[in-house]
Amino acid sequence: MRDYIFPNRFLPYLLIAPSALLVIVFFIVPAIQSLQLSFYRVNALSGRQLYVGFENFTRLLTSSDYIQSLTTTGAFIAVVVIFGLSISLAIAVGASLPLRGFGVYRTLLIWPYAVSPAITGAIWALIMDPNIGAITNALESIGINFDYRGNSTHAVIFISAAATWKILGYNIVFFLAGLRNIPRDVVEAAGLDGANAWTRFWRIRFPLLSPIAFFLLIMNTLYAAFETFGLIDITTHGGPGRATNLLIYKLYSDGFKTQNLLGSASAQSVLLLVFVVVLTVIQARTAGKRAFYR
Amino acid sequence: MSKRRLLSVLLLTTALLATFSLVSAQDEIQISFWHAMSGSRGEVVQELVDEFNETHPGIEVVAEFSGSYADTLTKALAAVRAGEPPHIVQVYEVGTRAMLDSGAILPVAEVSGGAFDPASFVAPIVNYYSAGGELQCMPFNSSTAMLYYNKDMFAAAGLDPDQPPTTFQEVYDMSRQIMDAGVAQGGISFGWPAWILEQMYAKHDQLLANEDGGRSALATEVYLNNEFGVAVLSEWQRWADDGVLIYGGREYSANDPFIAGEFAMLAQSTSSLAGIESNAPFEVGTAFLPRLEGYDGIGNNVIGGGCLWALAGHDEAENDAMWQFFSFLSETPQSVAWHKGTGYFPSTLEAVDALEAEGWFEENPNFLTAFDQILAGEDTVAAQGVLLGDFVTIRDIVGAAIEESVVNGVDPQEALDAATAEINQLLEDYKSLNE
Repeated sequence: MRDYIFPNRFLPYLLIAPSALLVIVFFIVPAIQSLQLSFYRVNALSGRQLYVGFENFTRLLTSSDYIQSLTTTGAFIAVVVIFGLSISLAIAVGASLPLRGFGVYRTLLIWPYAVSPAITGAIWALIMDPNIGAITNALESIGINFDYRGNSTHAVIFISAAATWKILGYNIVFFLAGLRNIPRDVVEAAGLDGANAWTRFWRIRFPLLSPIAFFLLIMNTLYAAFETFGLIDITTHGGPGRATNLLIYKLYSDGFKTQNLLGSASAQSVLLLVFVVVLTVIQARTAGKRAFYR
Repeated sequence: MSKRRLLSVLLLTTALLATFSLVSAQDEIQISFWHAMSGSRGEVVQELVDEFNETHPGIEVVAEFSGSYADTLTKALAAVRAGEPPHIVQVYEVGTRAMLDSGAILPVAEVSGGAFDPASFVAPIVNYYSAGGELQCMPFNSSTAMLYYNKDMFAAAGLDPDQPPTTFQEVYDMSRQIMDAGVAQGGISFGWPAWILEQMYAKHDQLLANEDGGRSALATEVYLNNEFGVAVLSEWQRWADDGVLIYGGREYSANDPFIAGEFAMLAQSTSSLAGIESNAPFEVGTAFLPRLEGYDGIGNNVIGGGCLWALAGHDEAENDAMWQFFSFLSETPQSVAWHKGTGYFPSTLEAVDALEAEGWFEENPNFLTAFDQILAGEDTVAAQGVLLGDFVTIRDIVGAAIEESVVNGVDPQEALDAATAEINQLLEDYKSLNE
């Protein structure tokens, strides 16, 4: 195999220029700016700035609100990842059985992924509405008074369930693809050796799926950490109290709804990035090492 | 007709049109007016503007919907920084401090060149938007909070439907009677709870922040965790614990269950009146906000809504045109039309009288409650309401503290201590950025 040589040495740079430009303008420059802003106290309306060193960071790390938001987010990520992965794996295994209408329901299973987080919020807010929601009414008939607006525990369950539902489609696609790629002969050979379905799954198919499961673990973590703000903004606004004020939502509301917390919000975005990087590294060191690559 | 001929006709027309607009631009003073009124309210604004343009040759007010209140404020101040300020911008009451500190405004008193007469306006409205003894912006859409109640439920529970509660204890007792009679699940709910708490301070003549509520200088301290604040929140927590208070979110989400009959009373903005009256399948009563026993100070309700600000940086003729537009809006027929079309207060006493004379309040007694309430108060410093920097964030913090107490059972003193510390920090920061 040899490297492909472009006829003109500038052509490759020209070809990557559009995407490089996009990445620089929309990701790199804003990231540098928010790093810079995190050392300032800013009045968003008048544009006045005051250099404050690490004050934004020290205030955040000593604030009980922020710590609460951090622990809530940690728990939220854990719930979304654990339930999101296990439920979608179960569904994918079921959906990979050779059944009639496979194509149709496989497509339907993927649908939730195509829905934006804000629309997810609107749908869930409607079906779980404390007064008129279909599911709320069903729950009421079995004696559960579900009220995500007036009960913190319910609010946390509510957003976790909605966020998990939303990511299921994505996970199922990958698990389905992974399951199809498992060589049939290996599974059949194990069957001939007397392994039952349970053993065949856990001893053969699951280890072969583990690279995908690891990939999804990372993706779901990122999703739960970064992409759930639309859902919260439509439904709970971080409440009641601060029960569902996840890091990403706190960042948004401090950054865009207040007048002089832009610097703090920038510091929060830096911290959030650090936390997620740390989390990903930990996952790579533990789960990643156990993933089985053929 | 050949293609070429058609083209030349088109070109000629364009050239003519361009000349006309150039001429008209020279003759007419254009006034840009950015507002945040969408839907039917936006239509009423446009009707008023059209009428002004027709009756005032030489001036053309161009009204432009510029998004939510927050968006409008942000855009306007960004335009000021870019050196292209609009003439008039509508700002919500929580943006008042930001406007005052922007250095970009022209107080209404100055725009009018001394022609403005505050005595003809409804006093609490003028007071809210005054700083340094001078009215800063033109009151446009004003509202306040009042108590709505379900008269049918009161009757069904054996209460007098014309005797709404006036005190916290009565709210509690009547709620219990209604609940015990099986008429409703709960007694009362709130819209905008953080604002209702502000109302309580002003109503009982309790100062909410230092520096005269942020009116004589930038406030640096709020008194949310004082004895009064804790007393109010403790009462609300007791109501919630006993099922009397059904928590209804931070904005308008309590309106629907009130209309659906889940509880009998609702403390909410007067701007919800039209919506509630037209949707409720029961007779709606309205009353003053209840008072807390043991605190006898008489203040007043706080004004909410929006105000029209004149921005600096325009010439004499334009300032004069702005003033003509402001006075047009406050003339009685326009004030009356605005009130009927939107439910907001008319800002002048004359408009109130005109509405009374034509029997509007007899047909719509609930619209009168709001006026009676603010006219019954005393105009003290505390009753003016507070002006705070970054007020939107502060309302959010107070809203969360109230939720912590009434929903999550946190001790009111503890919740308000935490909120106070957080707010004071914000105010200090705000001060450091505005000195």
